[in-house]
Amino acid sequence: MTITTELNHSWIIMIKEFKQLFRKKGRLVLMILFPIIMIIFFGYGMGGTINNASILIINDDTGTTSSSLVQEIGSHISKYDEDPMFSVTYTKDMSESEAESKIDAGLYKAILIIPQDYSDCVAKNGSTTLTLLTDSSDTTTSSIIINYMKQYLAKTGSIALKIPNIYGNLEYLDFLTPAVIALFVFLSSVSSTGSTIAGEREYGTIVRILMTPISKRSVIFGKTIYQLLVQLVRAIILILVARFTVGLNMNGSWPLLALVLVIFTFGGVGLGVIMSTMVDDMDSFSHFNLLVTLPSMFVTGVFYPLSSLPNWMRAIAYCIPLTYANNAMRIIMIKGQGLHAISNDLIILTLFAIVTFTLGVHLFRREA
Amino acid sequence: MQICYSAVKLSHNFEKHKSEVNSLEPIIEVRDLTKVFFSRGRKITAVNSVSFDVFKGEIFGMIGPNGAGKSTTYSMLTTLTKPTSGSIKVAGFDVEKEDNEIRPIIGIVPQKLSLYSDLTVRENLELICKLYSVPKKEMEERINYYLQLVGLEAHVDRFVGGFSGGMKQRLSVICAMMHDPQILFWDEPTTGLDPQTRKALWNLAIKFNVEGKTLIFTTHYMEEADNLCDRVAIMNLGKMVALDTPASLKEKSGGKNLEDVFIHLTGEQVRD
Repeated sequence: MTITTELNHSWIIMIKEFKQLFRKKGRLVLMILFPIIMIIFFGYGMGGTINNASILIINDDTGTTSSSLVQEIGSHISKYDEDPMFSVTYTKDMSESEAESKIDAGLYKAILIIPQDYSDCVAKNGSTTLTLLTDSSDTTTSSIIINYMKQYLAKTGSIALKIPNIYGNLEYLDFLTPAVIALFVFLSSVSSTGSTIAGEREYGTIVRILMTPISKRSVIFGKTIYQLLVQLVRAIILILVARFTVGLNMNGSWPLLALVLVIFTFGGVGLGVIMSTMVDDMDSFSHFNLLVTLPSMFVTGVFYPLSSLPNWMRAIAYCIPLTYANNAMRIIMIKGQGLHAISNDLIILTLFAIVTFTLGVHLFRREA
Repeated sequence: MQICYSAVKLSHNFEKHKSEVNSLEPIIEVRDLTKVFFSRGRKITAVNSVSFDVFKGEIFGMIGPNGAGKSTTYSMLTTLTKPTSGSIKVAGFDVEKEDNEIRPIIGIVPQKLSLYSDLTVRENLELICKLYSVPKKEMEERINYYLQLVGLEAHVDRFVGGFSGGMKQRLSVICAMMHDPQILFWDEPTTGLDPQTRKALWNLAIKFNVEGKTLIFTTHYMEEADNLCDRVAIMNLGKMVALDTPASLKEKSGGKNLEDVFIHLTGEQVRD
C-alpha cells in the first residue's frame, strides 16, 4: 500500500470523525464549556501549604547574624505539614541576574539574597534589604513563600524585603489555565479515542472498517489527526476566552505551544488505543478511563503546585506525563521561554508519544 | 418495503443457475481447522478439527445450536480471527498469510449490522466505497442501484440511527456489496426480522447468487437453511457432524424437515 493511499484512508477516517462530532452538538458545547467553568470555578479558590520547596540562599553576609535567619528558613515546618517547608541550597557571590536565570530554568522556587552588610546593619539597628526572587509562574507557591518571609521579617523590624516581579503581575488563573488546557488535552485524547474504539468494537462498526483494505495504522492515524485538530482549536479558543474575559497572560510562542499539544495528543491517543484494547465495551472503558485519568488530574499539579503535595504523591506525579505537559505549558505561557527551557519535558512527552502510539498500533486488534 | 425485482423470475433463474452449478470448483478450502480459547484458566475448544469445502457459486449454510462453533468458524473464514491450527484458503489465498488479498474479494454482513448511526445512508455507503477505492462515478451508480434494489432510495439522506431493524439489515447487506465481492458472508441474516423482510432478504440472497456470488450463511432458522442453501453444514460442540444437501440430510435421518435432522444430530438439550 502506498503512502498516498494510506494518507487518503486516514483523511477519509478523519472526515468521518468530524461528521460524527458535529452531529453531537451537546458534546461539542460541553467540550468547550466544561474547562472554562473549571478555570473560573477553581481560579478563585485554591490555597494551602507547601513542603520541600527548593530555595537557594545566596548568603553574601560577612558576619554571623544571618545564620539564625538561614537556620529558621531551613528548619521551618508549617502548621499542617510534617516535612520542612523548604529544601535549602546555599551559595555565595551570585548576581541577581544569574539568580533570575536559575528561576527561569525552573531550578528553584525562590532565591533569597542576603547582602554583605546584613550582620553589621542588624547589629547597629540600621536598615538593610533582602532580595527575594520567586518563581511567580507558580503563583500559589510564590505567594506562600512571600507571605512567610514577610511574616518572619516583620518580627525583626528594620529589615526590608525587595521582591522583583520577574514575570509581571500574575494571578492564580495564570497558573491554572495552561495546566487545565494540558489536562483537557489528556482527558479528551485518552477518553475520546479509547471510548470511540471501544464503542466501534461494541457496535461492530470497526469490523466493517477493518474488513476493507485499510491498515490498522491508517485507522489510528486518522483518529489521531482528528484529535490533534480538535485539541488545537479548543486550546486556542480557551486561551482567547481566558485572555479576553479574565486577562490571562500568554507570554510565549504559539507554535511552541502547538508543538507541546501535538506531541502530548499523540501520546494521549496512543494511551487511549492501548486502554481500549484491554476492554470489550464502552462501559468497561469508562470505568477504566476514570481509574487512569482521575488520579492524573489531582497529583500532577494542575490545580495546586507539586510543592504542596506530600513526597510520595510527588513521586507518582513524576511518573505521569501530564506533569511534564503542565510544566511545559506553564513555562511557555507564563515565563514566555523557548525550546531550551522545555527540552526535558519535550523529551519525556515525545518518549511517551512514541511508546504509546507504537504499542497502540501493535495492540489494536483486527480480530473480532 | 418494495424490493424492485421479480421474485418469480428470480426463482426461475435460481433453478436454472443451480442446474448449471455443477463444476464443484472449491472457492473455500478448510482443513483440520481448530480454534482454542483460554478463559479464566479454562481451555475451550470452540472449533475442533473441522474440514470442508465451499464450492464456487453455491449457497452454503452453517447451522448449529449456541456454542456449536459456527460463529468462530465464520470469524476465521472472514479473517477476523486467527485459527489455532489447520488451514483455510479463500480463492486460493491463505487466511493467515494472505488476509490482505482475501478482504477485497469478500463481503460481510455481520450480525451486529455495523452501521454508523450518526451518519446518513449515503455517508455510510460512501465511507465503505472510498475505503475500497471505488471510483467516484462507479460509486454513485452502485449506491443508486443498490438503494433502489432494497427500497431505501427515499431514505438516502436520513440518519441510520432512526431506522428499523429491517431497514438496517437491508442497508448492511448493500454495504457488503459496494466493492462487488466474489463471496458474501452473512451472519444470522434474518434474526429478529418480520416475515416480509426475511422473505425479501432471501430473494436478495438468491439474486446475488444467480449473479454469480458465493454465499455463506450462519443461521438458527432451519427453514432458511432448507429453502436457501445448496448444502448445509451442521455443527455441534465444535465439530461438524453433517454436511450435505438439505434433501440428503432429511433422507438419511428420516426427518420430515431440517429441524428434525438438526434435533436428531445435536440432541434436545438446551445450550448456553
